[in-house]
Amino acid sequence: MHKGAEMTATTEGIARPGQVAETLPEDYFTYVAGVGNIPRDIYKHVKSNPFGDLPRYSAHIVIQHILIFTTFIALAATGIPLHYADLFWAPYVISLFGGIDTAQVIHRTAAFVMIGACVYHLLTIIGSTIRKIIKKEFDVRRTQVPLPKDLFDLIHDVKYFLGLAPYRPKMEKFMYKQKLHYLAILWGSFVLISAGTALLFPEYIASLWPFDPAIIQDLARIMHADEAILALIVIAFWHLSNVHLVPGRFPAQWTVFTGRITREHQLEEHFLEYLRNLEEIPEEREYMRSLLSELGYAEKEGVPE
Amino acid sequence: MILLFILGMALSGCSRAEAADVENCLMCHKYPSLARIGADGLVKNYYVKEHLFLNSLHGKVACRGCHTYIKKFPHDPVTEKVNCANVCHIKPPFAEENFSHKKIIDVFDTSIHAIKPDDSPLMKASDPDCKYCHLNPLYKRVDEKTISYGKSLDRCLNCHKRKGVTEAYHHMMHRLRHKTSRSSQEIVALCSGCHGNVPLMKKLQLTGRALDAVQTYEQSIHGKMTALGSEKAADCISCHASSLLHDIYKPDNPKSTINEKNLQATCKNCHKKINKYFVKIAVHPSLEDPHNPILFVLNNMVLRLMLYGTVFGLMALLFLETFRRRKDGAGMKLKSGTSWGKKKK
Repeated sequence: MHKGAEMTATTEGIARPGQVAETLPEDYFTYVAGVGNIPRDIYKHVKSNPFGDLPRYSAHIVIQHILIFTTFIALAATGIPLHYADLFWAPYVISLFGGIDTAQVIHRTAAFVMIGACVYHLLTIIGSTIRKIIKKEFDVRRTQVPLPKDLFDLIHDVKYFLGLAPYRPKMEKFMYKQKLHYLAILWGSFVLISAGTALLFPEYIASLWPFDPAIIQDLARIMHADEAILALIVIAFWHLSNVHLVPGRFPAQWTVFTGRITREHQLEEHFLEYLRNLEEIPEEREYMRSLLSELGYAEKEGVPE
Repeated sequence: MILLFILGMALSGCSRAEAADVENCLMCHKYPSLARIGADGLVKNYYVKEHLFLNSLHGKVACRGCHTYIKKFPHDPVTEKVNCANVCHIKPPFAEENFSHKKIIDVFDTSIHAIKPDDSPLMKASDPDCKYCHLNPLYKRVDEKTISYGKSLDRCLNCHKRKGVTEAYHHMMHRLRHKTSRSSQEIVALCSGCHGNVPLMKKLQLTGRALDAVQTYEQSIHGKMTALGSEKAADCISCHASSLLHDIYKPDNPKSTINEKNLQATCKNCHKKINKYFVKIAVHPSLEDPHNPILFVLNNMVLRLMLYGTVFGLMALLFLETFRRRKDGAGMKLKSGTSWGKKKK
């Protein structure tokens, strides 16, 4: 699947540089009409602006992300000490919020803001999907919908990490990491919001589900805490390291506020999306063509347009 | 401001001047070293710190108001204990007869904590008396929002007559607006003093949920909120006693607030809109409870595996990726337009 995923690109008819030709994989070069043959590891040679070169997130998504992470911090800071109420540090953290009764109000307020941000997000993606379908621009490969290609990409990428494959897979706007995280957030928000609602309104839950409200409350109590701790650990250790601490992103990636991604990052992890950017952004096509001619990979005469 | 300050000074001066020691007991008891070693080897201290006592709840009661068994001076060795049901006090405001704690002690004497004839000697020794909880504390300032006027008046009527007590309301700041003068945390600590001692509870032949009541309460949302200082969350006596506070019974006693028939009314003190199913929710939740193996397995195995699997799996992926990208020439920082400067192709 992943080899056939290129839209405008083909690898046919490429003149490869002689000295490495034998060791290069078949799809090392990606031909883009009007630009040239783009080598897979071109990201090592491009110039990038740390604040981002190419569009990735709309202003809506940036605002939603800011809303989600600020409320997440407030929720975790007021919720985790309550879960670990018997540990020595819990009262100190709670006292930062002016006592547990105030922390409770903060937790509930932040929860409602976060639910609001979730609704805002759903409206945004449903609206833009409908708009794209009407304009016949919709492409499921540019969305967060998990596809078989993502599994192949993951296997390919692990092979690359272990040194068994020479280059990383060519991936879409959202690679397996983002899709995994997005699915986790969908599941996590469902669990946290439903369990939190059960904990906040035990009276109503008991009248909605009168058969065994005890098990509902116990389940909600366990799942709310467990899911929150899982989310906190994954975000604190995995998400934050992935976006801000790994090589090339350290000490901070600015996509979170600018909504734009650096060229080298887009090329490395979202190569297929970069090819679409080439189609959509004339300046980028111009930049890539001049870079390729510097490197000697520019469109050669006699290659059909 | 200054006027208020002077007034405050004057008032505090007044309260000091009004001595309870009309019979000059402090002639001896004012000496801090007035103590002796009892037959059990423990030091017994008979020192009375005058200014603390005068500002305490019983500060206006004369010594012999409670210590009625003292008939002569110097007195004989004390063998009797103070009986709090004595009619010995001063007249309360707007009342005809002398004050007594007898009414509430009558309630207490029917409760689970009272000494009953068929109790074991250990149980008799373990049952708390009045002074186990009531330490004659100093007057404390309380914040004024917690209990409504009518509710605190209900508590007054446990001992006082309705007539007059409404006018006396403002004189009695102590505990009127809180359910108890102790904070919820202090209540839990007080009850846990015995009920958290599982070996003692086993010796007293408590069984089932009464054995781990403290531990399960601490796991509950009420317990966690209270542990962090909430005054809103239910403590022990919020559920186990009515506004009489001393009417603590076993759940099978129809008078008990946690009797099946009374549970709904008890929960309604805080949870206004409940139905009859609501009371099934575990207030003392226990994951070790054998009736709930699904939750036990879920909590202790499934969720734990999921947590460790997810976290370690993702972190392994992250470290692998970072290691290979570093090897491939990725620099840490994006400097002068690129982070791929370490190794040239």
